[in-house]
Parts: sequence; C-alpha cells; structure tokens
Amino acid sequence: MLHSQGLNMAATAAGKKVFEVFVSKVPWTVATKEVKEYFRQFGQVKKCLLPFDKETGFHRGFCWIGFTTEEGLQNALQKDPHIIEGARLQVQKNRKPFSGRKSNKEAEDN
Amino acid sequence: MVSPVALWLVTWCGCPSLFCLYRLNMAALLRSARLLKSPLFLVVPMMWTDLYTLLFCSLSSYTSALPCVSCRQYGVVPEQRGLVKDEPSVAVRSKQAQQFDWALAKLDSSVRRTGRVTKTLLLHIFHDICRTGYPSGNQALLMLRSCGSLLPEVPLVERIELSQRIWDKLQELGATYDVSHYNALLKTYLQNEFRFSPTDFLAKMEAANVQPNRVTYQRLIAAYCEVGDIEGASTILGFMKSKDLPITEAVFNSLATGHARARDMDSAEGILSVMKGAGIEPGPDTYLSLLNVYAEKGDFAKMKQTLEMVENADIHLMDRDLMQVVFSLTKAGHQQYVPEIVERMHHERGYVPDAMNLCLSLITHGHEETAFSVLKSFTGLLVQSQTSDSPDLGNFFLRHCVNMDKSVENIVRFCKDLKDSGLHSSPLQFTLQCSLEAKKTGMAVELMRRMKEEGVPLRPHYFWPLFTHYQKEKNISGTLQALRAMQELGVASDMDTFSIYILPSFPSVDSARTSLKVIVLDMCVFLLFYVTVLKHFGLITWVDNLSSPALPNVDLSAFRASLISGFRGVKLVLLSFFAENVAYFLYNLIDSMNETEVHSKEEQLREYFGLLKNMNISISLNIFRGIRNILESYQVPELVKLSCVSQIASCFCQGLEGKLSFLEKTLAELKAEGKTASSTLKKVITVLCAEEVKRALELKILYEADMTPAAYAMLINLCCRHDNAEEALKLKMELARKDSEVALDAQKYVALVRVLSKHGKLEEAIDMLKEMKEKDVQLRDGTISLLTLTMNTAAMKGDANSIRRLQEAIFTLGLAKPSSNLCSPLITCYLESGNYAGAFDATVEVHKQYNQMPKIHDLICGLVEKGDAELLQNVVEFLSQERGEMMMLYDLYFAFLQTGRYKEARKIIETPGLRARPTRLQWFAEKCIAAQQMEPLENMVDMTVKLFECDRDDMYHCLLRLCKETNDWQKAEATWMKMQEENLAPRERTLRLLADILKNNDKEVPFEVPEMTGEEMAVSINTHIQHHVLFIKTADPTTHFAISQTTVVFNQYPSSFCLLSATDHVPEFSLSDNANSLLIVSQVKRCQMKDALGTLKGMLQADQVPSQLAITRLVQGLASEGNTQDIQEVEALVKTLGSIKLSSMLFVNNAALAHIKNEDIDSAVELLQSFYIQNTDNQKSSISFVFRKVLDANNDAALDKLSAMVERLCNHFASYRAATDLFLMYLDTGRTEEAKFLLQRCAAVNEQKDAMFTYMLRAAQQPGQAAKIKALSELIPDFTEKENIYSHLVKCCGLDKDFSSAKALYERMQAEGVKADELTLKRLALLYKEAGEPVPFEEPPESFSFYADKLKKQRSESMEPADC
Repeated sequence: MLHSQGLNMAATAAGKKVFEVFVSKVPWTVATKEVKEYFRQFGQVKKCLLPFDKETGFHRGFCWIGFTTEEGLQNALQKDPHIIEGARLQVQKNRKPFSGRKSNKEAEDN
Repeated sequence: MVSPVALWLVTWCGCPSLFCLYRLNMAALLRSARLLKSPLFLVVPMMWTDLYTLLFCSLSSYTSALPCVSCRQYGVVPEQRGLVKDEPSVAVRSKQAQQFDWALAKLDSSVRRTGRVTKTLLLHIFHDICRTGYPSGNQALLMLRSCGSLLPEVPLVERIELSQRIWDKLQELGATYDVSHYNALLKTYLQNEFRFSPTDFLAKMEAANVQPNRVTYQRLIAAYCEVGDIEGASTILGFMKSKDLPITEAVFNSLATGHARARDMDSAEGILSVMKGAGIEPGPDTYLSLLNVYAEKGDFAKMKQTLEMVENADIHLMDRDLMQVVFSLTKAGHQQYVPEIVERMHHERGYVPDAMNLCLSLITHGHEETAFSVLKSFTGLLVQSQTSDSPDLGNFFLRHCVNMDKSVENIVRFCKDLKDSGLHSSPLQFTLQCSLEAKKTGMAVELMRRMKEEGVPLRPHYFWPLFTHYQKEKNISGTLQALRAMQELGVASDMDTFSIYILPSFPSVDSARTSLKVIVLDMCVFLLFYVTVLKHFGLITWVDNLSSPALPNVDLSAFRASLISGFRGVKLVLLSFFAENVAYFLYNLIDSMNETEVHSKEEQLREYFGLLKNMNISISLNIFRGIRNILESYQVPELVKLSCVSQIASCFCQGLEGKLSFLEKTLAELKAEGKTASSTLKKVITVLCAEEVKRALELKILYEADMTPAAYAMLINLCCRHDNAEEALKLKMELARKDSEVALDAQKYVALVRVLSKHGKLEEAIDMLKEMKEKDVQLRDGTISLLTLTMNTAAMKGDANSIRRLQEAIFTLGLAKPSSNLCSPLITCYLESGNYAGAFDATVEVHKQYNQMPKIHDLICGLVEKGDAELLQNVVEFLSQERGEMMMLYDLYFAFLQTGRYKEARKIIETPGLRARPTRLQWFAEKCIAAQQMEPLENMVDMTVKLFECDRDDMYHCLLRLCKETNDWQKAEATWMKMQEENLAPRERTLRLLADILKNNDKEVPFEVPEMTGEEMAVSINTHIQHHVLFIKTADPTTHFAISQTTVVFNQYPSSFCLLSATDHVPEFSLSDNANSLLIVSQVKRCQMKDALGTLKGMLQADQVPSQLAITRLVQGLASEGNTQDIQEVEALVKTLGSIKLSSMLFVNNAALAHIKNEDIDSAVELLQSFYIQNTDNQKSSISFVFRKVLDANNDAALDKLSAMVERLCNHFASYRAATDLFLMYLDTGRTEEAKFLLQRCAAVNEQKDAMFTYMLRAAQQPGQAAKIKALSELIPDFTEKENIYSHLVKCCGLDKDFSSAKALYERMQAEGVKADELTLKRLALLYKEAGEPVPFEEPPESFSFYADKLKKQRSESMEPADC
C-alpha cells in the first residue's frame, strides 16, 4: 500500500501529503524526543522538526510536527490546551510547507 | 531651637565676627530665592535625586547618591583632549541624526517597558557610535546619561568605569563637550556614589573653557553634601551668590542631607523652616531627603513622624520615593523596617517595573534576602499580568541572582519558596536556563544536581549550550569537564550531542579519541570513531568527487565498495550526520553504474534502500525521480519498487498544479465580472463655457437637444458655485426628467446639497442625499468635509434643526460614517449661542446616536469660564462614564490650562496613576503653538515633569517651537537650562531649533549644534549647485575647502561624470553610500574592474551599503571578463551585508557566464545543474539571463552543452525551469524552430504554464512583441485562456498602434466567440477611433484606469487566499 502511494505521489507530483502542524512556545527543557512523544497521542507522527540554534545550543522554541494522516492533524488541532511539562504549547495548522528546509533534526516514524 | 541661620553661619564662615556679613549674604540669597517665585522655578520641585531618568520620564533611581562616607576616593575629571577633527561629511551627519533617533528610541522603549537599560544594549549603542566615528554632542549626552541609576543590574564601580570610558572614547573621537555634558557627568558621579573633588572638577571645566551654570553648582553642592562637607557646599553657594544665580529647592534638599551626614540632625531638620523663611515651600524631595537620613540612622520613629508631616502638608510621596527609603534602610542594615515602608506603597502606575528595579539594585548590592522579601510583597500585582497557565513569577529575580553569582544554596532556597507558594511552576529549570545562557558551567551543574535530587529529569540537550560555548572557544578541557559532569549526573549522551556539539571542539580525530578515551564510555568512543572517520574521509569528499565531471572513472568502484561497507558499519551515525548529501550521493552512485553493474549489485542496493528506510532518511522528490528514471531504464522493477517502499521520496514538492488551477479560477471570475456592460455611453464635452452662468444657460436653451448629462452636470455645478440654488435645482430636475438613471459625481451632489440647504431648501437637499444613496455615489474625504462645511454654515445661523436633519440623513443613508468632524457642527451651533446646557444635551445625543464626542474641549472651557459647577459636574460624570476616567482627566486638565486655572490643572495632572497620552498632549501643544499661547503651554511642560511615560523632549520641542514663532530667545534659553536640570538628552532637532532661535537674536550658542540631515541639506544646497560644480572645475582641488564642498555636492547630486573626474583628481574624497555606488557603476562602465572592486571593498570597510545596482553591474562586469574568482569574492563580501535585496540568481548566472567566457563550459553546466538539483526551491529561479547572453553571442558550443543539460534536468530530475527558460528565450529571440525542437525533446515544458503566462505579461508591456505572443500561442495553444491571449495581443496592438491587426483580432474573437473584457474593449475602441472608423460595439463608459483598477482588484481579490 505504501508502495503504490509512493508511486502515485511521485507520478502526479502532488506535493506534500504530510499533515503538518506548527508548534510554538516549546519550552527549552524539552527536545525532539519529548515533543514527539507528546504528539504521538494524536496519531502517527511522521516527522518532527525542532531546530536548534548552533550559536547558543538552545532550540528556537518552535517546531513542526507532520502526521501521516489528516485525522492525526485534526486530533491535534482540536485539543486545547496543549500542555507539555506544565507549559502551554501553541499549535496551529502549518501554513507553509517546510519542503527544502534544512534541518538537523528530522525523524520519521513508521 | 538653635537658629539654623546661625548654625549655618558657624559651618560656613567658622568665625563669629563675620556674622553680619553672613547675615547679609543670607538675606541676599533669600532675596534671590524670592525673586524666583515665578511659577516655573518654585512650583516645580526640582528633583535632584532622579533627574536622570526624567529623560524618559520614567524614574527609577532609588540608587541615587547615598554614599558610604568611609570610601573617600577622589576622582578627577578626565582631561579634555580637544582634538580638532575634520568636518564630518553630510552623510555622516545625517547618519548621526538617524542613529541618535534610533538609539534614543531603543533606550526609550527599554526604559518605558522596564525602567532600566541593560548594559548590553548600552554597549551595543556605544560601539555603534564608535564604529561610525564622529560622535555628535548629544549622542555623547545620551550615553553619559544612561550610565547611572538606569543600570540597576550593574555594580556601581562598573558603572563609573563605563561612564569614564565613554567620556574618554567619545572625546577622542571628536565629540565636543559643553556644560550639559559636564553636568551629566556630575550626575553619574552622584548616582553612582563616586567620590571626587568638586574643586578639581571645576578646574577641569575651566581648563576646557566651559562655564559652569546653575545646574553644575547645584550638583557640586550635592556632591559635597553627600560626604557631609557643609563647608565645601557653602563655598559653592558662595560662587552661586557671586554670580547672582537663583537658589532653588534642590539646593536646600542637598543641604538637609549634608547636615545629617555631618551628624548635625538639628540643622538638617531646621532646613524646613529655613526654606519656609525664604518663601520656598518644601517639596516632596525635601521630605525624601529627611526620610533618607533617618533611614540611614535607623530612626524609625522619626521616619514615621516625617511621613505624617508629609501627609499633613498634602504632599504626595511617590512609590519611587519610598523605594529610595527602602534602599537606604537596607544599605544601612536596618532591613527590619523595610516591610513597614513597603506597606505604604500606593501601587501607582509603573509600580511593578520600579519595584523590580529595586529588587535588582538590592541584589546587585548584595542584599538578595531583602530583595526577595520585596519581591514577595508585590507578586500579587505580577499575578494579574500573568497570562499563561503555568506561573513564572520572579524570572527577572532568578536571572539576576545567576548573573551576580549568588550562591546556589540561596538560589535554590528562593526557587523552592517560589514553587511552594505557587508563584513559579519550574523555577529551577528557569534558573538552569539562565546559568546555561550565562555559560556558568559550575552553577549549571550544581543546579542540575539539585534537580536530579528533586526528581526532575535531566536531558542531554541541557548540556548543549555549554558545549557550544566551549566549541567556540576551542576549549577542550571545558568540553571534557562538561562531558564528565554529564556522565556523573547519569545523563546518557546521544548522537547529536556527540556529532554536533562535542566533536567539532577537537582539532583532529586522534586528539578527540585520546582525550575521550580517558573519560568516555566505550559506546561513545565507538560512535565518535565512525562519525569522525566519515567526516574526514567520507561523504563530503565523495560527493564532491563523484559529481565532478573531471573525475576519472578509475577509482569509482573502490570508493563504492568502501562506502557500502561503511554503511554497514556506521548506520545511524553516518546517515543522519550527512542526510542532506546522502541523496545526491546516491543519485551519483547509481548514475555511475551501468546496467549490468546495477543488476549485479542489486542485492547491495536493496540493502541500501533498506538501510535508508530504517534510518529515517528522506530524499527530496526530484532526486528520487532521477534515481527512479535510471532504475526504470535499467529494467530493475524490483528496485524501483523498493526505492518507493523505502519512502525515499518524501514529497516536498511545491504544488505547481495547485497554483495553475488557482489561476484558472481567477480568470474565470474576471470573465464573469468583466462582462457586465454598462448601459450609458458618456460623451465628453470639453468646455461648454467658463464662468459665465448666464451665457451657459443661454447656450443650453439654444442647443437643448444636444445637452448631454455631462453638460447638465457642469451647468449644475456652475450654478452651485454662483450660489444660485433655484437654477441649480431646476437644472437637476430637468436632467432627471431627461434621464432618471443619470448620476452626478459626489462633489457636485454635495455642492448642490450645500447650496440648497443654505437657501432653506432643506427637504430638497435631503432628497439629493437620498438620490446619492440610490445611485450609489461614493463620497471621498474631500467631499465629506464639504458636508461638514454645509452643516457649519447652518450652525452659524443657529439652525440646529437643519443640522440634525442633515446629519441624520447622511448617517442613516450610510453616505459617510459618523465622525467627530461631521458631528461637531451641532455642538458648535449651541456653543455659539452660549447655550451650554443645549450643547451638553447635544453632546450626549450625538454620543448616543453616533458614538462621537466632538467639541468637548470647547464645552468644558466654556463651563469653566462661566463657573457653572453643576453642569461641569454632569459633563465630567458623563465623560468618565463614556470615555473613562483618564480621558476625562485630560479633558479637564486641558480646559483648566486653557482658562489659566493652573493650580487646578496641576492637581489634576498629579492624580496618582495618570500616565502620559502623547497624542493628547501633542494635541494641546499644537493648539497652543497655533494660537501662540505661551503661558498654558509652558505650564503644561512644567507640570508634566513627573507624568509617567511623558516624552520630555517632545514637550520641550513644542515649547521651543513656540519660542521660535514668537522669536523669544530669553524663554528659549531658560528652557535649555530646565532641560539640563531635568538631565534630558534632547534630540538633534530640538538642539537645532534652540540654536536657531539664539542665532537669530545674535546670541551665543553654548553648545555644539548638530548639523542638518542630508535631506535638509539637499534643499539648501539646491540653489548653490551650479556654483559648486563650477568651483570644482576651477579650484585647486587639494584645498580642504574644495574637498569638503565638492564632497557635499557629490554626495547630494552624484553624477557619473563629476564623480569620475573628481575622484581622478582628488583621491581622498569621502563619498556617501549613493555616490560610491554610482562610482562603482561608472568604473564598471569604463571597464575599471579592479577599481570598482576596490571601491566596493572600501565601502564595506567604511560600513557603507552599496546599492543593488552597483553590485549587479560589478558582478556582470566581472562575468564579462571571465573573472570567477572575484565574483565569488563579491558574493562573500555582500553576504555579510544581508540587508540589500539582490536577485538570488545574480551570482549563479554570472559565475556560469564567467565560466563560459573562459570557455570552461563544463564548469558552467555543473554549476547550473547542481543548482537545480540540490534544491527544489530553486525551480523558481530563472537562468534566462545566461541563455540570452549565450544566444546573443552565438556561442554554439556553449549552447549545445547547455541544452543537453536542460534536457537532462528535465527528463531525469523533473526540473523544468531551465528547459522552460531556454524555450522562452528561443521564442524571444525569434528562434521558433529551435523552440519547437526543444518542446519535442522536453515535453514537460508544455506544462509550465505559469512561466508562459508571466512571459506573456512581461512581453505585453513593450511595443513590438505581438509576434512573440502569437508564436507562443501557436506552439502551446492552451497555455492560458484564449481571452487572456487575445486581451494581451490587443494590448500589444495598442502599444504598436497597429489598427489593422487589432481589427483582424477583434473579428477573429467574434468568430471564435471569445468575449473581451472591458479594458480590452476600451483599447479596441481607442484604436478604432484613432483610425477614424466607427466602433462596432458599445464602448465601456468609464476611463481606462477605472477598468484597469477593476481588473487588478478582481485579480488581487482572488489572489489573496493563496497568500494566507
């Protein structure tokens, strides 16, 4: 199934079929692992991009989460508030696809 | 009680025989003090304690000048090194002005928000000023004034060092210091408790030839008093007396402190009666001085007594004052009384930032315990501002504790307290963050240990900031230390930690291995080993080599073998580390294998893909396509499948299709809207007649049948202008009979309304308004103000009824939204007749109906003047209910000011909690300036001294503007003195204004006048330009004068001729950014590439910003010389600028052209190809420029290779941009056959409709392009809708004035059933008319721009959703 999806995607060049949310106000104490673990409750997380600033060693406080399904995305958007380690995250639908964006942290779940 | 006068005598003269003399002196002093009983000097308490922050009018200086008497170090004023610098250029000056404004705004916003400035910000601004060179006088002033109590986070010693450094450095750079600078320096001494010798200070001033003024003496007295040196203070008093300077409250306040410090409490207390005797009312600062001296002694009973006195004297001590008392108590070791003082705070506006600053100062001074108790006292206030669910109160406190290296013990205790009392959800984590930011490893590790004890999880990335820091410093032992701590705390290091944060700190693999072996676990060493191996021998070299066509094939298999084995071993580490390169590498790897090889290595490749899948590697879509295409061509379907299964292609591609369908939708909408044809064809009659109404009317009767609506409209307007209501109405009715559909324009309708209502035809006027509504006539601002005028005419006649009717009609019809202006006539109507009750009722009515409140100021002023307290009370209640208390207070304040009731005004503006409303203050100031009312304005400026957040410079600027209007230099001079007393750093415009006034009256200007900005200069130079140009040609260019003059001219009016000849003759010119940019362009034109590059480098060194054009021309010039190296250099240079907007393709295209120029086409191809392959985003970037140049040069060799590249990109990588660019370029240069051929080879170009459309849009901008658009539409008929093609072709015909083609087009459109939009019809109609032929369709009535706007609007409306 994945196979045909992949082919299909490539053939039609339909672009991203990742369902992304943009998360901001991520507390400095959590890193990719924690964020991913948190968002897993809403659906399969395909990617989690939490850029770190190599100048300071801290992350920048925002990240992108890509769900494999629309459902995951909707679940995440419907939940409010999102609290991780006592801090309230801001979660919104991602407006710009992050294609081509470079990352030092990218992960896929299968 | 001993007479204070007598005591004074003793302290001052020390000799009883001089008693009489002293008495005389005192009397004189008192007389002079009495003389000052003008409201300006005595009503305003001159606060010497926190003059400084008055600059921003946010006071925060409780750390004022309360010295510890024991440290008696005497500072010396730095020597004035009067270096005469060259005149700064105009560009520098204008930059200075901008920079000052920028710096002021920065500092201002910092102080407004927090009541303080950070050292980082201050240093940042300081370095910025130094970098530019030529610091101006008031930049220096601004800097100096920020070195005192605005820095609560900085220890006193450091502050003093800072101010000295700034003083020396700026002087060295050529800043001229006047008395205001010395006064500012004195203030920093006082605020930073710096001990210095006042007499030396005076001597230095004298040496620098700067005359001390009243403010200087006041501050010197304060300095003596700080150390209890009454004798010294008296000496200065003597100086003041001899110069006949007035003695103000500030002096007495200092003396109170002085006596107390000299342990003479009786005299200190006696100051109050001395002041009263001198006719000076003790102000809040007097009592504050006393409170502070009691606080130092720990005499709480006296403090209480004084506080009671204050209350009884109806004096208001601000929270900020009480905070000073808290500070004094703590410093003297009497903390136990702090809570009682804290309880007395009123929690005024700005309390929180002030209290925070108190905490910070206390921490800085080592009293964090007291600071914490203060913090706890106002957390209640902080909670209110808390928005998030998890509290984080006290962050500022914790951060400063970290910065001040407080013991972890204490900090942890504060954290625990904050957490237990629910004020902070994670104080330890926050403190850890601070210590990490501050790179305090020891503290951070200790804090983490505590966290671990408390069961808070620790994570590897907590250590990253430390590693980053050590990495930057190449501090290996630091890195190892952090790593050790990590292990000790049991935090497992992960791959990222190693690969990104630890390894790069080491110079080599070996050194890393050796160092790490000692301390690190085996697993880590293992990982490290592979990562470093790869980094040093691995992929990067690989990819580079493989992608280079120059690489011989020999070693490829060996590389591959080692790489494959590498994959097996390294797995995770390898791929995540080089994820970006892996994809491209993979393509090259597969590409380099032939079919049999692929088949034989199928197993290995399969393993590869499997690995990739497991390792979360994603490959961008276009590279995936490339790989897939090769694999497919090699007939290995299993692998193709696998490559998909492993999800190599994560589809990141931009939705090109989506965009196209969107455009289609837009066009459909345009079509639908554009087809609503208008019913009337308006003929333009140019001029029927000019001003002759009668003649016009006669003509009308004569040619009745030929009268068009437009002619009627003109006539009606004419009648309105001549105030002929009857005739206007008649004409209007006639017109309506002829054609009931026709509408006049808004201005004519309103003119009609005006003349009708003026002549009592109210109903008819309202009918006109209704008609406007019916016919949907839009009103513009100008016409709306005409309506106001109409109603004002009625107001003057006292006709409230008419106004009400008109207002009602206008608003209920929705012709205009209710505004203050439109509503004001009704109020004016009542005010004019002195009917205030009526005016108030009308106000209430208007507010209720239209939510407007015009003319309130006039109403209140009227009531105040009349003394109608009852009605005033009603108005006030109404206002505070409707607009809030603050607005009401301002209304009342302005009314009192306006009517000269200053005492009442002061009471109001001193209402606790009132803050500055700049727009309102400005409004009143403008009113005063316009009416030349000095007294109310001056009073406002004085009274707002302590107003929270009041921009003092703005206030004084207004005052000076009025001084300028009235040419009152005395007032201007007095204003300057007051500005110094407030310790204000005026903006340049203010200083210039002041200097202007003084100069106009032939007075000496006692400070350096900032030069005009470039803009202002340009205006004044304009008239002299001819003269200057002439001058340059003839004068000896080596003279300084010539240089500076010509520099000015060039920088303002850079012309390439002048620049080149000038720089040839006078190499030492300093040119502005613009002039230098132009110079580069001129040099490129002359093929002086080395010079041009030199100019650019020079500019960058001088922090100038070259223009986009200059860089573009330079890079193009370098390309034409084949100079790839310099192109790279320019790219690197320009990258640091960041701010200029350059075409993203400038460097790529020109580097490629440079390669081609050098006949190294392979390099060009490689460059362009990898550009498109490596980044999907690059599909938007065009390389047309390269093709154009190659085609123009008929460079067939290059063209062959480039078109092969284009095909490769298109067919292997699904990257179509290059092919499309080439296709369009073929088309554009008339090579239709080549274009056709390309289309056959790269079929996908057919689908690049966006690019085609853009091409058509651009082509249709210029004449002579119709053939190209035609050719395009023949090759790719469906690249857009036919309507679009035709409309652009018509546009081209219009540009070419080609009627016959246009006619043929129109006929074809008819035949094909293609509908034309209004703009196209307009264009066609024009062509028909110009050719003298009848227009075969109904021409749309409105203007070209109307339809163009309409189309644009439709387009942008349907565009908008895409941007969201």
